Amino acid sequence: MIELIQVSKRFGDALAVDDVSLSIERGELCVLIGTSGCGKSTTLRMINRLIEHSAGEIHLEGQPVREFREEVLRRRIGYAIQSTGLFPHWTVARNIGLVPGLLKWPRARIRERVEELMALLGLEVEEFADKYPSQLSGGQAQRVGVARALAADPDILLMDEPFGALDPITRESLQDELVRLQARLNKTIVFVTHDMDEALRLADRLVVMNHGRIIQQGHPLELLRRPADGFVESLLGGADRGLKEAALLPVSQRMTALDDAPLAEQRVSQQATLREALSIMLWRHADCLTVVDAADTPVGQLSLRQLVGAGDARAAAGRTDTDQAAG
Amino acid sequence: MQTAIRRPVRPTISHWLAPLVWLLLLLGACWGMSWLEPLFRLAEPDSRDIIYDRADFIVLLGRHLQVVGVAALLAIGIGVAAAIAVTRPAGRDFLPMVSQLASMGQTFPPVAVLALAVPVLGFGNLPVIVALLLYGLLPIVRNTLAGLESIDGGVAEAARGMGMTGGQRLWRVELPLAAPIILAGIRTSVTINIATAAIGSTVGASNLGDPIISGIVNGNIAYVLQGALLIGLLALSVDSLFARLQPGSPD
Ligand SMILES: Nc1ncnc2c1ncn2[C@@H]1O[C@H](COP(=O)(O)OP(=O)(O)OP(=O)(O)O)[C@@H](O)[C@H]1O
Ligand SMILES: [Mg+2]
Repeated sequence: MIELIQVSKRFGDALAVDDVSLSIERGELCVLIGTSGCGKSTTLRMINRLIEHSAGEIHLEGQPVREFREEVLRRRIGYAIQSTGLFPHWTVARNIGLVPGLLKWPRARIRERVEELMALLGLEVEEFADKYPSQLSGGQAQRVGVARALAADPDILLMDEPFGALDPITRESLQDELVRLQARLNKTIVFVTHDMDEALRLADRLVVMNHGRIIQQGHPLELLRRPADGFVESLLGGADRGLKEAALLPVSQRMTALDDAPLAEQRVSQQATLREALSIMLWRHADCLTVVDAADTPVGQLSLRQLVGAGDARAAAGRTDTDQAAG
Repeated sequence: MQTAIRRPVRPTISHWLAPLVWLLLLLGACWGMSWLEPLFRLAEPDSRDIIYDRADFIVLLGRHLQVVGVAALLAIGIGVAAAIAVTRPAGRDFLPMVSQLASMGQTFPPVAVLALAVPVLGFGNLPVIVALLLYGLLPIVRNTLAGLESIDGGVAEAARGMGMTGGQRLWRVELPLAAPIILAGIRTSVTINIATAAIGSTVGASNLGDPIISGIVNGNIAYVLQGALLIGLLALSVDSLFARLQPGSPD
């Protein structure tokens, strides 16, 4: 769907993006992560040609992006940025309807679409449609920014730290919304962030960059278990990696069937992550939990031994640990 | 509940009070200058002629407005267009040159421009318009440039990223957002040119400068004061009118 083939970008003498190859499938949520200045935004903006690449090729559904007219290309691709870039002299509704307007949709259809999106992103139409961006909170403005990016129903969405500068709670709720939207709308999303927890939560494919190059890419679990080098490892949280991995695995994966023993007192949902289960154990000083389904019916149990996967030497053996390798 | 102010604020009558008062004073002074004769006599006790009467003040006012208006329209057209041109990708290279030219226009005294223009353009309004145009260009160019460059980087990037063409960005985003600053430049330009236009009377362009020049030539202070009074009132009227047009300005 989106393919970067040995793409480089030079600003004068500086190489901002260096020989990057990346292929993103339809419906995939690809997260670019790395230290500040490593070329994430540049990579993203080369896809919608806000920045022209200096070498290599970028294809969209098999067609080089240079063959599109710039405006036509950009109207097909949703774009959301950290600063939102909402037009201060336009109302929320008009801001959201921007791209449909450029595409000359009939007025009634634009209005309908704007209201649909506002509902989707939890923005009361009555309350917000006629407000100006300066009257919104940061979180509301970022929702409007995402709604605007989605307005013309693009297949592809580019998001550059769209939830940056938000408090952790708003941030998490927007991340949840994005995951929900993604499950429903099946967009291809390229997402840039600084925040590893956000990256691990959202990514189908995690791309780690440093100094303009891709150091490693793959499923978050793959990177957690086998980081290519010390840089990836420390970016992924170093000693916290165990917890980060546990946050990606559901309880249902490690629980065992109920037996004759009496039910443990503390309960955990089978949808919860292993990390959440571990936290309950620590908090309640319990070494065994009863796993329940959505209707609170016991469906299994989870002991601390099972939770940590003790005895699964095969899994542990496959893991790289550059600290130990070096030492 | 939020008590945020919605834009645009609907102007009320009281908003227009200041310009209205100045305008009425101006017209009153034009028609009723003879009523002030006792006052002007204080400045010129020995003279026989106290009130300038070689032309109707209202006619002079009309001509004054005409010259300043034409010069302002030209300055706005040229100034705004030039500033837009040099902030487009194709014209970027000319940006330093244009802002330099505009500031040179203002350092060049209008009197000198008149002196140079008269041999080429002859006497009358034409050299005055040229002088005012050059003099009024800088504030407009400078403010249009400042307005266009003041636009938030995120807004500019979003406008491009959403797929707006250059023209759409200019008309729907850049100019509306820069408008208050551009308007402030036009206000400065017009106000100073209302005063500057008076020198036109030295090269045969008849306007509110006439009483002043004639007063200087004949040694009649009362004439000078009458011209100055009317020019001052005109400048105040126009300035307060602009103040009303500009959103968010307190005065
Ligand atoms: N327009 C530009 N002109 C010159 N250099 C640029 C330009 N844009 C980016 N760069 C340089 O390219 C490099 C990569 O920048 P980029 O914005 O892609 O970083 P980033 O990974 O998005 O960083 P951050 O996480 O801080 O947003 C940086 O060294 C930056 O200074
Ligand atoms: Mg960036």
